[in-house]
Amino acid sequence: MNRTGLPEWLSDALPEQAAAPSQIAQAARSQIETIGLPGLRDEEWRWTNLRAIQRGRFAAPAGVGADIEPGTRLPLENPVRLRFVDGIFQGVPDDLPEGVSICALADADESVREAAFSPRPAPSVDNPNDALVTLNTAMAREGVVVDVAANAIVERPIVIEWLDGATESVMSHPRVLVRLSQSATATLLEHIETVGDQPAWRNSVVVSSIAANAALTHIALGLDGESRLTTARTFAELERDARYHSYNIQLGGRMIRREYDIHVGGSGAHTDLVGLMMPRSKQLLDTHTRITHAAADTTSNEHYRTIADDAGRGVFKGRILIEEDAQRIEAYQSSNNLLLSDNAEIDAKPELEIYADDVSCSHGATIGRLDQEALFYLRTRGVPLAEARGLLIAGFAQEVIDELPLPELRDWLTEQVEHRLGERDVSGDGNA
Amino acid sequence: MALLEIKNLHAEIDGKEILKGIDLSINAGEVHAIMGPNGSGKSTLCHVLGGRDGYEVTKGSITFDGHDLLEMETEERAIAGLLLGFQHPVEIPGVKNIYLLKEALNAKREAQGLDEIDTFSFMKQVRELVASMNMDDAFLHRGVNAGFSGGEKKRNEILQMLLLEPKLALLDETDSGLDIDALKVVSDGINRMRGEERGIILVTHYQRLLNYVEPDFVHVLYKGRIIKSGDKSLAHRLEAEGYQEILEEAS
Repeated sequence: MNRTGLPEWLSDALPEQAAAPSQIAQAARSQIETIGLPGLRDEEWRWTNLRAIQRGRFAAPAGVGADIEPGTRLPLENPVRLRFVDGIFQGVPDDLPEGVSICALADADESVREAAFSPRPAPSVDNPNDALVTLNTAMAREGVVVDVAANAIVERPIVIEWLDGATESVMSHPRVLVRLSQSATATLLEHIETVGDQPAWRNSVVVSSIAANAALTHIALGLDGESRLTTARTFAELERDARYHSYNIQLGGRMIRREYDIHVGGSGAHTDLVGLMMPRSKQLLDTHTRITHAAADTTSNEHYRTIADDAGRGVFKGRILIEEDAQRIEAYQSSNNLLLSDNAEIDAKPELEIYADDVSCSHGATIGRLDQEALFYLRTRGVPLAEARGLLIAGFAQEVIDELPLPELRDWLTEQVEHRLGERDVSGDGNA
Repeated sequence: MALLEIKNLHAEIDGKEILKGIDLSINAGEVHAIMGPNGSGKSTLCHVLGGRDGYEVTKGSITFDGHDLLEMETEERAIAGLLLGFQHPVEIPGVKNIYLLKEALNAKREAQGLDEIDTFSFMKQVRELVASMNMDDAFLHRGVNAGFSGGEKKRNEILQMLLLEPKLALLDETDSGLDIDALKVVSDGINRMRGEERGIILVTHYQRLLNYVEPDFVHVLYKGRIIKSGDKSLAHRLEAEGYQEILEEAS
């Protein structure tokens, strides 16, 4: 296939020195020059156009921006804050909970850095669908490594603050490694916020490994921000009896593409993937998930919802792969989607690939408008049409919010969604 | 002046005429039962009164409490005091019962020029009503009718009525599918709503409910017309003789 290679500005930005061990970085550098950025003809990118990035002429940030604070305070109990301003790590906080050690990626030993750049399931360095991981490997200089010791129960949430857009046309390629040792429990929260009105592109990779009987809760909370371009990939590898609970809440962004690769590799392991995307104006919010059941007696439960308003677009593709020897699997996926305007668009695609025979697996996808019966019912109680619509939309989102583990965050999100609905221009709704 | 005055009402769905000239007058303080076999137009009448899209009134008039009902939106009818109890209450997961009750009550209060109800009084009132309907408080924080049994849904309809205190309660097949315990709770609720200021219409297929809620008037609806009206003895006749006898007598 004739590929166009990397745009020149991006090729010129490839560094001599990266955080990845030199062999890994070099392989990535030479491949990315050839394969370039993914395009619409690459299977995993059919619905998501990277033109805004291709034409973006982004540059690595020059400054450090140490005094930048997030504009939004999340209701979190004593969080451990790991701040990135335009992809530049602002340093390890002093006061860490027991059992948690954190260091900047650049300061980590070579073996640790190798782990950060060797996720499982391994993306292939020359596959165009994985090109953004390859690019991150070639580019990453900034990042952080979080280790949680065996049996540690970490109550304080570990918050990665991605503060994007502090400087103009900036790009970043940070890499995060999170490792939970046996029977450890921790919560990782990505607080994603645009701090300026400048276009910014972040291409980040989070690699997590969850040892036997450990549990990682991973919340990715993307606040609204018109100028933000994000390509973010998450890897999670689960050993025996491990749990990975993912909550992916995306309230806006010009183009947000998130990918999750979950390797359920030890018997008794379980993963939940829960998601809510609310694109509006001309935003594109896209999540691709891939769950691999590689061991017997493992379970997964996936529940994604999209509410698309205005000319917003939502994309959800959920793949479940059950390997040949992975018997007695339970894997459930549902994708429910709500279109609020004639110009909104949602693409939802489940994909099941099953090679084992003792499997209980189901998926369902719905795309629709507000339930007219329910609207009529509410109106017969005296609730005005616009408010009845608002109640139904909020209710649709609430069913996802209710699954979040932190009660204060749940309440906060409920308010955010209500506030969003209050801003809606309902004049053009018709009967939708 | 009657609370509800229906005159020569004709209505159709998708061009098919279902109601073919209904005349009905209901005063405050009265309980009316409208009975009829399947397909007689009972549910259509309820939907037309509720203002459901897709039902077209081609002739006739409906006056409610001095207003031209057909000029009013569904929510305006509710706020004016006409509440519809559904045959099949809609499940709305994600919208908590407590929110709906509060929204509905405040919509009515706003129309009356009152402030929003304070949370304390609201919760006190709602908890008492919940207990009176043999329901659990936990129900308030569940989605509206979501995963409710048939009996729970009907109890919820009555609970809403008791809170919102309509001038006219229009109950569409509220008794269908209820076991005897639920029927007693629901009919107790309806009896508590009876009063000088309020009209109640029970639309029903079966006579059973009328053993618990005694109507002042009974109307037989057949093929889109009220073919016979009488007192509660008419319901007993229907039960004993079936519709056939009365249909023949009327024709």
